[in-house]
Amino acid sequence: MTRTFAVTLTIPDNEAFTALETLARLGVSVARVVRSDIWQFVVADETGDLTATISSIETIHNPNKHRLLERDSDRPAAGEVWIASRDEARVTLVGGRSIPGIRGVRRRTAWRLLDESGRDVAPADLERAVETFLCNPAFQVAIL
Amino acid sequence: MSTAVAVLVFPGTNSEDETLRAVHAVGLGGELVHWSQPERLARFDAFILPGGFAYEDRIRAGAVAAHDALMDPVIEAAQAGKYVLGICNGAQMLAEAGLVPGTGSVRRPTAAFAPNASGRFQSVHVHVKLAVEPSRIPVLAGIDPGAVIPAWASHGDGRLAAPPEELERIERDGHLAFVYCDRHGNPVAPPNGSALNCAGLVNADGNVLAIMPHPERDAWTYQHLDATRDAVRGNTEEMLAPSGGIVFFEAFARAVQAEAIA
Repeated sequence: MTRTFAVTLTIPDNEAFTALETLARLGVSVARVVRSDIWQFVVADETGDLTATISSIETIHNPNKHRLLERDSDRPAAGEVWIASRDEARVTLVGGRSIPGIRGVRRRTAWRLLDESGRDVAPADLERAVETFLCNPAFQVAIL
Repeated sequence: MSTAVAVLVFPGTNSEDETLRAVHAVGLGGELVHWSQPERLARFDAFILPGGFAYEDRIRAGAVAAHDALMDPVIEAAQAGKYVLGICNGAQMLAEAGLVPGTGSVRRPTAAFAPNASGRFQSVHVHVKLAVEPSRIPVLAGIDPGAVIPAWASHGDGRLAAPPEELERIERDGHLAFVYCDRHGNPVAPPNGSALNCAGLVNADGNVLAIMPHPERDAWTYQHLDATRDAVRGNTEEMLAPSGGIVFFEAFARAVQAEAIA
């Protein structure tokens, strides 16, 4: 079983702003970029209160600047793309510590591109952003 | 007038001063050119993209800088045959800009200097040597084919990564410019898990070179880790003399000066 969490900055996200600037320079029509870290945990049946455990690991979640939400799905939401490494190693430690019941950890970066009205940009614009900038296909894969 | 080399500075670049110092030490004229000054680049004969963390390595190492306006004239110059060196973060930019290995389109990378296999930033002293004949890399004109260059590998993203068919092409077509070795030139495992033991890539024309370790950080005797430093301890003049990694810049100077004369 996999449990998926999204960690999003509640303070201004400089990386997302830089992505917005670069995408604008590339001619991609986008008004706002939202970025989240996606953490996926391959779990055994019994992991205790995983949300509480994760929220206490500051390399994942700092309550002063992050919002932590568990996702219903282990796939990207509509309008979202996840960028993952093609050759990610099997990892079981988080922030140098093991979590009881965790058999594997995967990390992705989620990107969501919004237009002036706050709606997701057209799929073609998202794909263009991925192809021209957000994903280096030499070592990354885009999950749409 | 001396040949002019532009050392590019992006927000987050941190090796521009020692790179410029090496440029001056080998008799080249050089100036720093900041990201807000792309119009200045037209008058330069060659370009160096130094190390650091341009734009904090946001999104991916070198990715934002590769799309910066300052890179437009560099890409044009590279395509026109001018010499371009990228060191560490500069090497990452050249890969993201598609200039090395240069087997695809501009700004559509076919390879990357990806996160180290360890998942951590590493700073270790290394040696590198040529993996191709010197004639394959005119940007380092006349470099000794047996040269073993000391340098510091100081990066979190130095592992050559590419699809298998691209790695095969890199090796087959002579894009693998430098590999890691010991001080005697014997092969050693890369510090970062780099494919093909790659420390540096060159494009097809040999005028664009990307190297991950920093030769400019081991280019003066006082910077060496071996007995050559101990042997001159107390002798300020010899301690401050260029040596070691400076051979990299000497070769670059020969190339740039020869091109300027031609």
